[in-house]
Amino acid sequence: MRVIKQKPMTVIERLYIFEAIRGLWTTLKHAARGLFRYETLPTISYPEGQPEVRNTYRAKHRLMLRPDGTPRCVACGMCAAACPAHCIFIEATQSDDPRIEKRVMRFDIDHLTCVFCGLCAEACPVDALRMDTKQIIFEHRSREDFVAHLYDLTNWDPKDYPDDEQSQMAPGGTKNAEARKVWGMEVK
Amino acid sequence: MSNYYNMPKLPTEASPKVEIFVDDKAVMVPGDTNLLEALKAVGIETPHVCYHPYLPVSGNCRQCLVEQEGPRGRMLVISCYTPVTPGMKIYTPASSARVKNARKATQEFMLVNHPLDCPICDKAGECTLQENFMEAGQNESRMRPEYGKNYHGNPEHQFIDAKGQLRGGKHVDIGPRILLDEERCVQCDRCVRFMRSIAKDEQLQLAGRADHTYITTFPGEKLDHEYDLCVTDVCPTGAMTAKYFRFQKRVWLLAHTPTISMDDSLGANIWLDHADGRIYRVMPRCNPEVNRSWLSNTSRLAFQQFDKNRLPSIDVSAIQISGGKVALVAGGACTNEDLAALKMLKETLGDRAELFGGSLLKVGAPDGIAKSGDPVANREGLKLMGFADVAELLKRAGEFSNLITVNADLYGEDAAAAKALDKISNRIALSAFDDATAKKAKVAFGIRHWSEVQGTMVNSLNILQKLSAAPTCPDEKLAPAYEVISALAGNKFGSACEAFKKAREYVPAFADITYDAIKSTGKLLGGNA
Repeated sequence: MRVIKQKPMTVIERLYIFEAIRGLWTTLKHAARGLFRYETLPTISYPEGQPEVRNTYRAKHRLMLRPDGTPRCVACGMCAAACPAHCIFIEATQSDDPRIEKRVMRFDIDHLTCVFCGLCAEACPVDALRMDTKQIIFEHRSREDFVAHLYDLTNWDPKDYPDDEQSQMAPGGTKNAEARKVWGMEVK
Repeated sequence: MSNYYNMPKLPTEASPKVEIFVDDKAVMVPGDTNLLEALKAVGIETPHVCYHPYLPVSGNCRQCLVEQEGPRGRMLVISCYTPVTPGMKIYTPASSARVKNARKATQEFMLVNHPLDCPICDKAGECTLQENFMEAGQNESRMRPEYGKNYHGNPEHQFIDAKGQLRGGKHVDIGPRILLDEERCVQCDRCVRFMRSIAKDEQLQLAGRADHTYITTFPGEKLDHEYDLCVTDVCPTGAMTAKYFRFQKRVWLLAHTPTISMDDSLGANIWLDHADGRIYRVMPRCNPEVNRSWLSNTSRLAFQQFDKNRLPSIDVSAIQISGGKVALVAGGACTNEDLAALKMLKETLGDRAELFGGSLLKVGAPDGIAKSGDPVANREGLKLMGFADVAELLKRAGEFSNLITVNADLYGEDAAAAKALDKISNRIALSAFDDATAKKAKVAFGIRHWSEVQGTMVNSLNILQKLSAAPTCPDEKLAPAYEVISALAGNKFGSACEAFKKAREYVPAFADITYDAIKSTGKLLGGNA
């Protein structure tokens, strides 16, 4: 058996008062830094300051749009099949556009169940589902509100994605007009 | 004209065993069949597209190639059309790179004009091409824009034939129940052979030649037949899709319950494909003795009514039997367990109760495919249990003062004839549906539908078949008929197994059968199958 022997305290340490002052000094030092030089602190003051989120971060989902504004999703169910948390619910229906066979009627993602693994975005064969919204805050009043429906998923602004060419093809984007022209003839 | 010479001979238990050499190893296989079935019997699966065990062999897909040692060396032969001969030497991809490459090349050719729209294809998940691709194909894509999708010059995959007519297309409305996608079609001609040899109504044809071959009907006609939805089953790709199931559910999300279709006395074996508590489709379940792999549209589409117009469950005490004679009527969809419970109730009531069974519907003629034409599914079971025909009851209706009908919609079947039953004052209907009889009854008691109960039935070929319960009951409080009736008799059956034990007491033919011993393909009564 190995016995660890404590180092005996010195006389100054045993007096206690000097050690207490030393501890207080550490606290005061950091308190003063927070007051006068807070920009050097390694933390962010969260609700006021927001963390920088990269677009590769797996944040809240969005559904990409075709130039005419319909969701690009073809309701194949690959994302739901890949989802390890079973939080995606899809119902399909016949599309009105003769070039497109199948369209999504219901697309729900339950963000309370979602584990944000990104497998759904990986699985999507038409690059319809993305997780690049940078939205990492989820606050709602009821559990039902945490379920993102088709409307929430497609209700994004191309201006928030200035560098993404695909997003600019959606209605309201800078490339929408020319994409629409191609879309009129495009084989899908 | 049907070509019966080509009908494949399937191995049976009585097949003679012969020795052949597969990859230089001696194996014993059934000797009176084709090579594909023989290899299957020893556990070697051969990918195939056009071959179907219950259709004449066409041999056009060339997917099932194997090598055979012949007088001129090793040759590639199609295993579906090569009969087994004793001592033949066969080489499969396990030992022969040539077979492997040949199958791979065949697979690639098959996919040249086939679109890669698996994500939106309803067949994805149960598609023969997908299976073959994973097993024998796996080529890198050599698709060029000038082939495939745009081959015929437009995205709709339409083209103008020799007579100047517009042909083909992604959404060809080929019949009232079926949609054809010409682009996905691989011209295996299974559907043509089905309509020709099984349905005996040649409504589909392959037209055109070579690369331009397409499936079509005669000009101005539609694919419309009692068995036309079987065409979607035999189709190895998503070319033929049933309109009712289109985009309803991805097939891998469906759970399957093996059961028996209780609307015909042949008792076609079916799969109930269900998900989230509702039936999405009914598929034929292969039973070589009964319906092979066919199912009539009537039986297949009946599920759409299963969850509609249902009766609620009420307390058993609502059923009051007054004095006087009691008529117990079992409908055609009653299982043997229900009949045993009714018989037990009769014993409890004593001589004043009498048993009747059947329906007022007309008995049709068998069509030789998957229907016997008799709407009373458990006719043989009724006979074995000693139930009198319901016509007897109509004649003597005046004698009775109580009427209990179980799954028997007598008023709905023949309202004029059933008027005789108006004389019976205390009418109690045990039924799954709120049908005409339930509406006219004093007490309408909701029970489970046959798709939601366990049980057995005896079909017109005297085969005892087993029903399984699909978890699709709209109300968990609904009980199976045998449970309600046995509760009335004062000896409630806890399970179908218990009820079947009771049935064994009544029917000598069931005496040495246990419920668990009945195979999925049934048990021939009085025989050794």
